[in-house]
Amino acid sequence: MTADAPGSLDLGKLFAARLHAARVRPYLASALFALRPVESRQVPTMGVDRYWRCYVSPAFVDRTPVAELAAVWVHEVAHLLRDHHGRSDRYAREHQLTGPAERLRMNIAADCEINDDVYGDGLPRPEGAVTPGKLGLRAGELMEDYLRHFRLGPRLERLAWLDCGSGADGLGRAWELGPDGAHGLSEQERDAIRFRVAQGIKGRPGSAPDGWRRWAEEVFHPPQPWRQLLGSALRSAVSAAGVGEDYRYGRPARRSAALPGVVLPSLRRRPPRVCVVVDTSGSVSDAELGSALLEVAAICRALGGRRDLVSVLSCDAAARTVQPLCRTEGIELVGGGGTDLRAGFARALRTRPDVVVVLTDGQTPWPEARPACRTVVGLFPRTGGSYDEHDPDYRPDAPPAWARVVTIGSGAG
Amino acid sequence: MTSHVSVTLPAVQPQGSQLHVAEALLDLLRDTTTEPRSDLQLEALTLAVAADLPVLLWGEPGIGKTAALTQLATALDLPLTTVIASVHEPSDFSGLPVIGDDPAVQGVPMAPPDWAVRLVRAGRGLLFLDELSTAPPAVQAALLRLVLERRIGALRLPPGVRIVAAANPRSSAADGWELSPPLANRFVHLQWAHDHDVVVRGLGGTWPRATLPRLCAERLPEAVAFARRAVCEFLVARPGLVHRLPSGESRRGGAWPSPRSWEATLRLIAFATAAGSSRDVLSLLVRGTVGDGPGLELLASLDRMDLPDPETLLADPAGAGLPERGDLRQAVLDGVVDAVRRRPERARWDAAWALLVRAMETGAPDVVVVPATTLASLRREDWDVPAAIERLAGVVSLSRRADQAARPAGARR
Repeated sequence: MTADAPGSLDLGKLFAARLHAARVRPYLASALFALRPVESRQVPTMGVDRYWRCYVSPAFVDRTPVAELAAVWVHEVAHLLRDHHGRSDRYAREHQLTGPAERLRMNIAADCEINDDVYGDGLPRPEGAVTPGKLGLRAGELMEDYLRHFRLGPRLERLAWLDCGSGADGLGRAWELGPDGAHGLSEQERDAIRFRVAQGIKGRPGSAPDGWRRWAEEVFHPPQPWRQLLGSALRSAVSAAGVGEDYRYGRPARRSAALPGVVLPSLRRRPPRVCVVVDTSGSVSDAELGSALLEVAAICRALGGRRDLVSVLSCDAAARTVQPLCRTEGIELVGGGGTDLRAGFARALRTRPDVVVVLTDGQTPWPEARPACRTVVGLFPRTGGSYDEHDPDYRPDAPPAWARVVTIGSGAG
Repeated sequence: MTSHVSVTLPAVQPQGSQLHVAEALLDLLRDTTTEPRSDLQLEALTLAVAADLPVLLWGEPGIGKTAALTQLATALDLPLTTVIASVHEPSDFSGLPVIGDDPAVQGVPMAPPDWAVRLVRAGRGLLFLDELSTAPPAVQAALLRLVLERRIGALRLPPGVRIVAAANPRSSAADGWELSPPLANRFVHLQWAHDHDVVVRGLGGTWPRATLPRLCAERLPEAVAFARRAVCEFLVARPGLVHRLPSGESRRGGAWPSPRSWEATLRLIAFATAAGSSRDVLSLLVRGTVGDGPGLELLASLDRMDLPDPETLLADPAGAGLPERGDLRQAVLDGVVDAVRRRPERARWDAAWALLVRAMETGAPDVVVVPATTLASLRREDWDVPAAIERLAGVVSLSRRADQAARPAGARR
């Protein structure tokens, strides 16, 4: 299995490299073996297309040591597993980006996402691999985050040769075989491989780096932005039966004239009454509160709720006064120290709301019984050890099951 | 008093009239052609409707859901009845009370609306419930009875009537339409998206014409047997997936696995098999019925069902057909080695070597390394090394090369 003519592709070396890659990254083995190598003299090094073909330059294989070649295999398969082509296309569409320069930027950003933890443990970092550090960016972020943070410029000129193929940035290349070429994988086959790899990583989480573990958790369930989740939780609470626009028997319907003797319900609008309980204990930051409160106000406005029906109540260990939300700013939040949301709930229920929205970090006791109205909890996530220095095993109670809980600040807000 | 003014438009408008010119311009605009194009989502919709499962199309307004339904109705030769849910009252779906002479004796019959009467009289038809998400909750509640129990007032829809509903996704629905888990479980959820290329080409004058699946009468028993085997084998292996309520805010309102939705999946697999549909179509349907995770697992298990049986391969290594794709090929070879391990016999061991040689000669050699190593370790003392092993020399050198790559890298760490 050696090259039989100068300049032809040394398949033996290429496959030995893939075998090495599969041995040091067993969780990627099935994805690596699913890649189909195609010899190409136009690709500068190695590149992939979205149909899981891998284009390889014979000269590149000749001059690269096996271990480094293995690193390139893993790098290229990572582009495909992480769906960089699809994400590039979506990003380009959302931001109306056109042209090869933008696609090069996406290729660089995609490389940054992969390269921060793909090497090491038997895979040497290839010469000239782009890392977030080299661009002065933080490691551990996603391609979309990196794209927001750098522009092409003289500093990146030496990266202009960078080309991982359309599998990395979604832009078709001249040397690629396209959707109708031989040995391409269908969308379902691609999904199946990605799913199998993700299951493998989740099944044995010890061996994969954090980046891959996060990918495996989120690949088929990307976290939704909390604004959307909070919005839909609030919307469904506010539009439930009995609130908002609905049919009621308080007045006869317009159709009653046509049906004498029959009482039909008529469509009536009763704007929802929303009470927001804000946890003003020391553990919640002002910035977090501000953004969440603005969000709730915006959603209520979008629902046609009148501002005077939305009230805000700040609560620490005791409940404070209720203020109507008549402006977006200037709500006085008083408090500090510990929290007891039971007091907040009791005070909020006295306004007879349709919905109670609680913004809290969850470091509080919760009411025992389900309140008479719907409850949406916006939860600021807190990680880390214990919260009580006198009782190291203390864990705060989770929000009760009757509340709809949206974690605020997770996912792209 | 009303006065009647009869207006009779001239049958032929005078030449040169502005309306006439406008008519000519409209004719020119309407003059479009069609081209055949495979449309996965339309194919999936057709199969689900043919299988008599209620379908819920999730899609932004204005992306051609109605146009798709018109095409579907033509393909299935069913008259289309569109009901815009948001302009109706609950009594339109639950029946209008009509008072007779003596309600105490005769009761109050609930009269159905005219379109329902026409549907029942025709005995067949496609009922499209559009804009479910903008209807008030009481209307939605009345509609769900129609979808689930097929009842409108005193009428029951005949079995020949198929029902499709459409809703806007949660993020864009202002009125908070959200399915409760029991309701979500009864629908086949299809995400409806527009294809940028199709829209641009269509506006340019050429719209796609989808060729819709036709059920093949000869394949029906085979399709049922395949579907039963697929679902049962899978659920035997994964008992935990028989029933799993959705958890977490982001998965609300979507598909989830339960005995009911598995039964729907079974039906859909049978229909897709009888129609000879691609795995991509089946993937849309299965994931829309039991959810992404269980759906993908089922599809992965279907892929394994397609692989050749190890025992068949061992019985005739010379005539064996191995899959092209590297990862599947490795799965097959692993299966073969595993079969030898379970029943170690000299003849089987030799046959496995012959298979490995065949695999090396017809595809990438790195895939063969791991099965070959395992197979070698199964050797009993009195078994001679088969002659075929000579031909695996390439694999051995490949494996050695990969080992060499690992050594310096390992030494460096």
